[in-house]
Amino acid sequence: MIDFARVQKELQECSREKDSSGIRVSPKSDNLARLTGIIPGPLGTPYEGGSFEIDITFADGYPFEPPKMKFVTKVWHPNISSQSGAICLDILKDQWSPALTLKTALLSVQALLSAPEPDDPQDAVVAQQYLREYQTFVGTARYWTESFAKASSLGVEEKVQRLVEMGFPDGLVRSTLEVVGGDENLALEKLLSS
Amino acid sequence: MAASDSDDVNLAYDDTADDDYFYLDDTDDDLHPPQASDSLDDDQLQGSDSRNGDDDDLLQSSDRHDEGDHDCDDNDDGDENALEEDDQDSPISGQNFSVLTEADIRHRIKDNIAEVSSVLSISKNEASSLLLHYNWSVNNIFDSWFADEKAAREKAGLFLEPLIESPDHGSSICVICFEDYPCDGTKSTSCGHRYCNDCWSSYIKTAIADGPQSLLLTCPHPSCRAAVGEDMVGLFASEKEKNKYFSYIVMSYIESKKMIKWCPGPGCENAIDFVAGSENLDVSCLCSHSFCWNCTQDAHRPVDCETVTKWMSKNSSESGNVNYILAFTKPCPKCKRPIEKNMGCSHMTCRAPCLYEFCWLCLGDWNNHGTCNRFKGNPEEEKREKAKQYVIKYTHYFERWATNQNSMKKGAADLQKVQTEQIEVLSRIQAQPLAQISFVTEAWKQIIECRRVLAWTYAYGFYLPEECEAKRNLFEYLQGQAESGLERLHDCAEKELQSYLKDKISVEGFIEFRKKLTLLTRVTRNYFDNLVAALQNGLSDVNSGSSSVSKKRKSNWAAAAVNAAPALDTNINDNSATAPAAAASAMEPWACAYCSYENQSSATNCAMCGRGSWTCDVCTYANPRTSATCAMCTEAPEP
Repeated sequence: MIDFARVQKELQECSREKDSSGIRVSPKSDNLARLTGIIPGPLGTPYEGGSFEIDITFADGYPFEPPKMKFVTKVWHPNISSQSGAICLDILKDQWSPALTLKTALLSVQALLSAPEPDDPQDAVVAQQYLREYQTFVGTARYWTESFAKASSLGVEEKVQRLVEMGFPDGLVRSTLEVVGGDENLALEKLLSS
Repeated sequence: MAASDSDDVNLAYDDTADDDYFYLDDTDDDLHPPQASDSLDDDQLQGSDSRNGDDDDLLQSSDRHDEGDHDCDDNDDGDENALEEDDQDSPISGQNFSVLTEADIRHRIKDNIAEVSSVLSISKNEASSLLLHYNWSVNNIFDSWFADEKAAREKAGLFLEPLIESPDHGSSICVICFEDYPCDGTKSTSCGHRYCNDCWSSYIKTAIADGPQSLLLTCPHPSCRAAVGEDMVGLFASEKEKNKYFSYIVMSYIESKKMIKWCPGPGCENAIDFVAGSENLDVSCLCSHSFCWNCTQDAHRPVDCETVTKWMSKNSSESGNVNYILAFTKPCPKCKRPIEKNMGCSHMTCRAPCLYEFCWLCLGDWNNHGTCNRFKGNPEEEKREKAKQYVIKYTHYFERWATNQNSMKKGAADLQKVQTEQIEVLSRIQAQPLAQISFVTEAWKQIIECRRVLAWTYAYGFYLPEECEAKRNLFEYLQGQAESGLERLHDCAEKELQSYLKDKISVEGFIEFRKKLTLLTRVTRNYFDNLVAALQNGLSDVNSGSSSVSKKRKSNWAAAAVNAAPALDTNINDNSATAPAAAASAMEPWACAYCSYENQSSATNCAMCGRGSWTCDVCTYANPRTSATCAMCTEAPEP
């Protein structure tokens, strides 16, 4: 049995504090068993500026069973699957406690974005990159944030288009954009200097 | 079981239905705070009527030994102590183990909890939390506790002072369901974090449903390590969940003990407490399942665990196929693996890594293969024959192993029947008290054990190297004798008994029968014990020679058997000089007393029926011709 009374109270709490925390939670439909959470990418990380959508479903025993969370927004992070959005976080598994809430869980996910744990990876490819080529990781993560987690991320194709029109090959344009995190001007500088 | 003052509510540990957990008075529905529970707990240990609830009871409870009928002083490492009260009636094995029923285990757990609780002057609940965190080692608990009580308490999540102030009046919000509750609607463990009763109940139920990790359950507060122990479970879980929690405790106890293992018998809930250092690894549970302590496979004396594993995996990979293989395959002439022909041409290539190429028809090397249509004596035939022999050999041993295993199972079923039906019938018809009839069950238990041993001697035989011919001969001789001895016992217990089940023949007749069966049982037991000992020491008597002055009768026996073994016939003359009756005519042909076959002078056993040439008057054992004294009971034959 999901404790819907508690879910309702949690939603109220989240909406009360959404300005201070930046975290928003809203029902997917009129059924409270599925929610959508949105967390802002933490400042000073490659995820800064993005807003990440998280799909929340409740197991039957909520709050005595942890809620199921996964990223809907694609994200490049060692503990989050780049394919499925699955999150590797202890409090969403065995360390869950009924005294935790959606808000605290989402805050923990946000904290995970700031502090990846590559030694306990969900996505081995990302974790390898994080450990071996940190700069490339940062670039890729920023590019993914630009591409998928920003309202303006639709603009990527246009940036590519413009740079290609300047005479650079498509593949090179995309990889350069990725390296510099999607900044068109930096990419142009890099393309010109290479 | 009313909530009255009746003295031994909790003493009913033999009553598995009611007394679900270890110290809580389950008739007490009050939500009594943990510190008050002390007084309730210890009275039970006094086994007296002095249930006045004074907290001093705790300190007086050390004389708990007079309570119950089990030994109570097996504290943590006491598991080596066999429970002498648990009388084992296993037919063969010595007291190398004791069987613990669920009640025994529960009793030991209670004793552990009582000991920790009384020595450290803490509640039963705290004691059980400590035991769970310290893997049931009472000594470790005492060491850590007396070295640093605070650290020990922290490890087990037992706080002396609440971590937070909890209001004892007014209302508070349960941070799980966010509802407002009056104070008496909430509860906290030693840390002081309060939650409403409903949430506690769901929390504990979910944890128990999740599995044995619920034994180390902590306060729901994310960073709080305060233990949620038996007291809370007692308050908030249903009967079914308490039972489950209890079974987790029992499991955790058994798994923490190196010398206790669960009986692997189907549906059996007993555990076996093994006596450290015992040589005999075979144990048998009250459920009549016998198994090897070391590998928990079925009992397998005299074969060692490694051989059993090898044999069993061989069986599982081959048993169903052996017949098919024999009928439809040929072994690869090089690697001996059985090969089935599934393609049209005769050019065969064995699988990697062998890759040997040969002709299916003549099994010759394909590289030198011309034609093989002409008939001739084929040297390759020999190779093929050898490979085939290997498979035949395996089949031979497997078949006998399996037959004896089946006989053993059948024997167990027969024993069941004997115990439930025949004993009573026999007692009635022969007008004998039940105690006078126990020899029948003894005989059947012996038969089962012997079948088991005999089965494993076939695995032993399969792995006995072909080269050691003397050993092989001795082994086969001993095995043959064991087999015929057992057949005699089995026959007597199975067939002769029948006539006594029908009607009363005569008192003397029955006494005669009892004497015979008892003797056969004893003799067969001796023989098999000796056989096991001889096989377990690798038939070393063969090498040490027959004249060595032996430590025990065992070796005498083996030595006698060596003398009797056909392979060592060279001794015949020396021995026969002293052997009466049979040996007097050692050099002449002799007629078998059983089948009347005319045997060669050199034959020690009848070539036709395999029996020896003379029967021991005492034990009826058919001795080989060369034995001066009975190989079984060492009696000299009557002149």
